[in-house]
Amino acid sequence: MGVVVLLPSILAAEAGGRSRLELEAATVDEALRALPVADLLFDEHGRLRPLVNVYVDGRDIRDGVGSDTPLAPGATIRVVQAVAGG
Amino acid sequence: MHAIEDRRDGTLYCCAATYAYGATVHRSPDGGRRWERALEVGLPPESGLALERTWHLRPGPESRPGELWLGSQDGGRTFQALPAILFHPTRERWQPGAGGMCCHSIEIHPAHPDTLVIAISAAGAFRSEDGGDTWTPINRGVLADFFPDSYPEVGHCVHKLLMHRQRPERLWQQNHCGVYRSDDGGATWIRLDENGLPSRFGFPIVIHPRDPDTAYVIPEEADVNRVTAGGRLGVYRTRDAGASWQLVAEGLPAPAWTGVLREAAASDELEPAGIYFGTQSGSVYVSPDEGDTWIEAARQLPPILSVEVTWA
Repeated sequence: MGVVVLLPSILAAEAGGRSRLELEAATVDEALRALPVADLLFDEHGRLRPLVNVYVDGRDIRDGVGSDTPLAPGATIRVVQAVAGG
Repeated sequence: MHAIEDRRDGTLYCCAATYAYGATVHRSPDGGRRWERALEVGLPPESGLALERTWHLRPGPESRPGELWLGSQDGGRTFQALPAILFHPTRERWQPGAGGMCCHSIEIHPAHPDTLVIAISAAGAFRSEDGGDTWTPINRGVLADFFPDSYPEVGHCVHKLLMHRQRPERLWQQNHCGVYRSDDGGATWIRLDENGLPSRFGFPIVIHPRDPDTAYVIPEEADVNRVTAGGRLGVYRTRDAGASWQLVAEGLPAPAWTGVLREAAASDELEPAGIYFGTQSGSVYVSPDEGDTWIEAARQLPPILSVEVTWA
């Protein structure tokens, strides 16, 4: 199923300069793990890093959507780096 | 945080961490124009630990291309944890320092590359004679007075440790609790900061590339007041293996209350030797004459994390 992943600039630079990727994935988790920056999103034990936020069509996956939820065709997954500091 | 040139092939390496995306090692084969990150850096699941930062890199010997300590055999593309130190039987007596648990010093015997000395804060110094398969604590005589037993086997807060390349059994360390020298590969240590330094506390130590009796430290007031000692930026040099220390500060600013981080000092191999360091206030100082005089080579930079010598 075709979905779109949008990356922030620092991850886009590590993904060969691409901030928008189209790929086939059934779930958010599957989509994120297929990215060339998966090692930056997940720690060495496969856990999504706590300061990486992920939204599916505008909804935070930690706020009910869940990483295992099936994606609708054409869904947009937006990765956002949490803001820290002053 | 450490950046270094591998003189075997000119590759640059940089330890890097971000608060959001974790820690890794970046490598550049072309002098810094392009960088690629190591894809496999992490601690094994059975450790129950996750990597927060990468700290220090040391290229292996000429005879082992691709070896990069700790943990890479493929030129920094992947890293494997060393179980013998990760799961060391003394580990339950280690505790992280203010910078987190970190292995910040890795020294390789120039003639016997399976002989390694490392230092971890706050675990202490360890020696391996078998390429890292087994590690022995080497902290005898080193104070750790934040414990009820002030001379424990492990738990020491080493800040920086170096091995002299011309006399590899001679080690130097700047510790949270003093400055020390060993002449027997770390089996025993001699305390040196009471021989003329203004304090026992500091982070970097630099040793002369040829003279094993010459070393440099930059003392800070105390662990509770981490600014350069005496209200000045002062380098202290010994020419007699730590029996005495002299302030060598011609060209260095006073008054000044700054600091120098553990990776932010280095020496070159010229005659006379050049000594280099960078401050947390963003200045880089160079002495072309072994510390006699100093020149501010750069200023108004961000805090200097790492200083290494390379050849353009």
